[in-house]
Amino acid sequence: MASWQFFRLNIAFPLILVLLFLLDGNLMASLGNFLLRGSLHAVPMLTLIWFFYAIQFGVMDKMPFYVYVVIIGVLYDIFYTGIFGTYTLSFLGACFVMERLQPYFDSRMMSGLLLFLIGMLVYLAATYFAGKIIGVGHESHLAFFIFLLLPTSVLNLVLAAIFYYPGWSLLQRLG
Amino acid sequence: MRKIFSSRTLVLLMVGFLVVVGLIAGSNWWAKKTNNPPFFQRVVNDLSGGMAKVISVPSNAVGHRANSLANLLNTFSENKELKGKLDGYAQNKVRLQTVEEENESLKKQLGLKKSLTDYETIPAVTISRSPTTWNSQLVIDKGARSGLKKGMPVMGDSGVIGILSEVNTVNAKVALISDTSEDSNRFAITVRSGSGDVNGIVTDYDADKKMLVMGSVPNSANLNKDDTVVTSGLGGKIPSGLLVGKIADVTSDSYGLSKKIYIQPSSDLSKISNVLVAKSSLES
Repeated sequence: MASWQFFRLNIAFPLILVLLFLLDGNLMASLGNFLLRGSLHAVPMLTLIWFFYAIQFGVMDKMPFYVYVVIIGVLYDIFYTGIFGTYTLSFLGACFVMERLQPYFDSRMMSGLLLFLIGMLVYLAATYFAGKIIGVGHESHLAFFIFLLLPTSVLNLVLAAIFYYPGWSLLQRLG
Repeated sequence: MRKIFSSRTLVLLMVGFLVVVGLIAGSNWWAKKTNNPPFFQRVVNDLSGGMAKVISVPSNAVGHRANSLANLLNTFSENKELKGKLDGYAQNKVRLQTVEEENESLKKQLGLKKSLTDYETIPAVTISRSPTTWNSQLVIDKGARSGLKKGMPVMGDSGVIGILSEVNTVNAKVALISDTSEDSNRFAITVRSGSGDVNGIVTDYDADKKMLVMGSVPNSANLNKDDTVVTSGLGGKIPSGLLVGKIADVTSDSYGLSKKIYIQPSSDLSKISNVLVAKSSLES
């Protein structure tokens, strides 16, 4: 890989990552009417989708991927929760599981989305149990599953599917 | 037998797990204990908040448009209902002005300068909302520079929506009353019932019912559905008389020794674009 390609990926990838990190919170604030309806709670996870694309489209080896994962996890912890460790652990766990399972999935979009769903489940479960550990997560398992996990999974699977080919095209150009 | 993980990986995993759990529990304890976040955290928050403010301009505009479009659909029925209430409001406004003047004059006669009901409001705009599973926090565009302090109450379109949980230099975090952490919704309240006021505190938030809970209310208290709940001002930081919500259900606790009240918050917590931070005059 030429050095200009390395720099292009290492500048564009984290820049988009930071933008998506902020956009996650902005979408939640500006589209609250649609994302938080009654008991249903759909959380946009554009940042995790971007990490999934890097794993799925084979560009994670061309950059310090896990450094970016840790930095975004720490930023999430500082800016959104104020409690260190939760989202760092969740992002690391989800990315690690997706990376390890990726060789067992073929390159079709549906297989990729299944891999992302698994990563998303790891991420949501880690945050849920971390909330239980520190005594701030009081939702029952059933309520968590029906009102949060299901709508969140549907929303993010749809988003990941819509941006799958544009994401692939962009990462191929960058990598 | 085939090993899934090497001994080194196992040790690293266990140590890593303990470190992360320690970090989560420790930072949670520290956040509750301290009034100001550490310097590094404050700098990161201010920088991220600045960028989030820029990004929030187009996304808020899209959100406003979508919201206006949704509101347009029920404009006719809403207009009809509001017109019906308008006459009553005009009358109440005149009455409120008279009572306020009378109150001011009585305070002067008694030599009272500031009381629990005196507060000033600081307007702020929501720039972000935590895209997380268990905590409901907003980030607003005002911070310590605008005179905000941890623990101040925050109001939405029609009542209390939360409390400032972290104050940085130019932005602050609001823990919504729907946040299930202990310090976000434990404040003193008064129920205005037909047979007199009943004081108490919010003891819990029922995440499944999406309602505030007021526990340990004496069985003798005569409370009914739709009674208004406001802040009592006891405790000092939160002024008296801020609308919290209405009683949705009155039940008994598991032993039948006291009543358990479910309160429907008055503000819609799903869409909060502008807020008012109430600064008690007693505090300043």
